[in-house]
Amino acid sequence: MSWKNYGITCLAVAVFTAAVILLVPGLAEALEVRLLTFLSTNASG
Amino acid sequence: MKAIRTSLQIIGILLLIPAVAMATLRFENRNDDGPSILFPGGELVSGELYSGPEPNWDFTSNIQTIELELEDTGSSRVIWILNADGNAYVVSGYMNTFLGRLWKDWAVVADEGSGEAVIRIDGLRYERQLQRIQSGDELDGVAESLLRKYTGVPVTPESIANQRAAIESGSTWAFRLAPRSE
Repeated sequence: MSWKNYGITCLAVAVFTAAVILLVPGLAEALEVRLLTFLSTNASG
Repeated sequence: MKAIRTSLQIIGILLLIPAVAMATLRFENRNDDGPSILFPGGELVSGELYSGPEPNWDFTSNIQTIELELEDTGSSRVIWILNADGNAYVVSGYMNTFLGRLWKDWAVVADEGSGEAVIRIDGLRYERQLQRIQSGDELDGVAESLLRKYTGVPVTPESIANQRAAIESGSTWAFRLAPRSE
């Protein structure tokens, strides 16, 4: 992939990711719980 | 060569997704009523505002974290709370490094700004004035509370002195949660 197309792809992925998190109900909270669980598990290890 | 470039591009996208997700979650929390454990929130608006006599803050001995909002920024965060001699304190470590001060920017704002804050403990809000304590025997109590409550370090005169030295040197910043009238 050319670097120009790669940049466009990255931008599209970023926008899509942000949109999904912001617009899908409950997803943000679910992700945060998962992240907290992951951090807690690894912090105690 | 092409394979290496393609691999790097894929790795880049795989790293981009969680980075954007984290940034989005932080952005999404910014105006919430209070912080989550992971991300700062907005103003503390819910909960009764305490208006009684100045409490003895020793009741916070059994409380691990509180919510702290700085009125200069309107943002809030979850934070440890210490108590000594009936007073309450909050601390911020890693303040002697650039990244530490960047990460703990709330402490810089509190020190350089008005210091006016609202804390929320068990749903009850208290208006406070953050006063940075940089020296004095008051720090012995702060140091002991920090060691006893949040570290696994045995509380000895030496460990208290070391912790006090860390505060006096500016590595850790300590703030008394004083009433607004002071």
